[in-house]
Amino acid sequence: MTPVDSDEQDLTRKERREQARAQRKAVEQAELASATRRTRLRQLGIVVVIVVLAVVVILIASGGGSSKKAVTAGTPTATKMVNEVNTRIGGIPQSGDTLGNASAPVTLQYFGDLQCPVCREFTLGALPSIIQTWVRTGKLKIEYLSLETATHEPEVFKTQQVAALAAGKQAKMWNFLELFYRQQGEENSGYVTESFLQGLAAQSGVNLSQWTSDRNDSALAKQVVNDAEAASNAGFNGTPSFLIGKRGGKLSRLEYSSLTDPTSFNEAIEKLAKS
Amino acid sequence: MSSRALRITLLALAVIGLGVASYLTYVHYAGIKPACTAGESCAKVQTSVYSTLAGVPVALIGLIGYIAIIGSLLAPEGENARLATMAFTLVGFGFSAYLTYRELFSIHAICEWCASSAVIMTVLAGLSTWRFLRGDTERASPGSAPSGGHGEPAAPLGSALLSTSVHPKRP
Repeated sequence: MTPVDSDEQDLTRKERREQARAQRKAVEQAELASATRRTRLRQLGIVVVIVVLAVVVILIASGGGSSKKAVTAGTPTATKMVNEVNTRIGGIPQSGDTLGNASAPVTLQYFGDLQCPVCREFTLGALPSIIQTWVRTGKLKIEYLSLETATHEPEVFKTQQVAALAAGKQAKMWNFLELFYRQQGEENSGYVTESFLQGLAAQSGVNLSQWTSDRNDSALAKQVVNDAEAASNAGFNGTPSFLIGKRGGKLSRLEYSSLTDPTSFNEAIEKLAKS
Repeated sequence: MSSRALRITLLALAVIGLGVASYLTYVHYAGIKPACTAGESCAKVQTSVYSTLAGVPVALIGLIGYIAIIGSLLAPEGENARLATMAFTLVGFGFSAYLTYRELFSIHAICEWCASSAVIMTVLAGLSTWRFLRGDTERASPGSAPSGGHGEPAAPLGSALLSTSVHPKRP
């Protein structure tokens, strides 16, 4: 073997060793990369599971802020609610969808959906003060108009809104509305049944057979359609929404800053009442 | 996209989100109506029962969330910092998803400030998850590694951890 041959063999051995080392290193790196990838995916999975669980808990806990079950007429809870409503609106004139003196100088139109939890918030929040300050004193009348938002089934929407309007034929629509919002369930959970509506009608103090008959009046269903058109003309796509103006004059949108604080409503009403 | 550019992008988005959340928190406590092009939609959302969670305004929760995200982005670059950013943004994304659900199906009004925050949080969550899964590409890239061989394939996912936690062997 010549010295040159020996050098070539050494070089080949050296190259092979380096190749083997490089291969080992590559395999080690690939294994480590794979392990790191698995660790990261596991950590991502844990975070995602925690987030999903947290959202589910928040959803369940926040529920909707409303009662989940309809209140049965005649029970102590129902009686208490009826008394509350009578205290709030008792003695105030009602006619059809209107609460307040027909000759009141200011008109407020309240566009609502009976299943809308935000309307409930307004009805139990800012509205009592507005009624006490302005409606009871004869300066304001409030008209309730129907606009479908929270109720997803048009037939259910029509049925519940017509049921309220039918109570209005006995000057009890606002009793019906107030009680509906107080006993509102989780929207679209199917709580608006025939027995729920009849229970509300009974608590509202209407003559049930008359109310049942009035629910078939096609004029009431037409009124629900007309209300939707009025809302569309005003550019409303959410509830509650409001129009306000002087009696017999043009109504304009009422911009409010809160549904629980009546300040912005008071300012708008006061301005119109004084002008 | 380089790690540095990605981090700066995340930071910029988080700062914008912080601005939105700060404004909504101010509006909540000042009791004023938020600037809104969609009529009363923002006021409706901001004053709804869903504007607080266990008595804490959701805008304030968002503000705290953005501060946490910015804090994790300003922390020294590393596996734990990237994990923290991803975790905070995913929590923020989940919370934004819940709030958007409430806006669409309970309040029936969209607050554009809340919607913009939700979009920012969604982008943040996506980018930070990508950043976490790919690791630190700059440290792992052949160009900056001591070996410096030309034509080497890009370092595989996970080599960032190797480069930071394992001292390289001498050849």
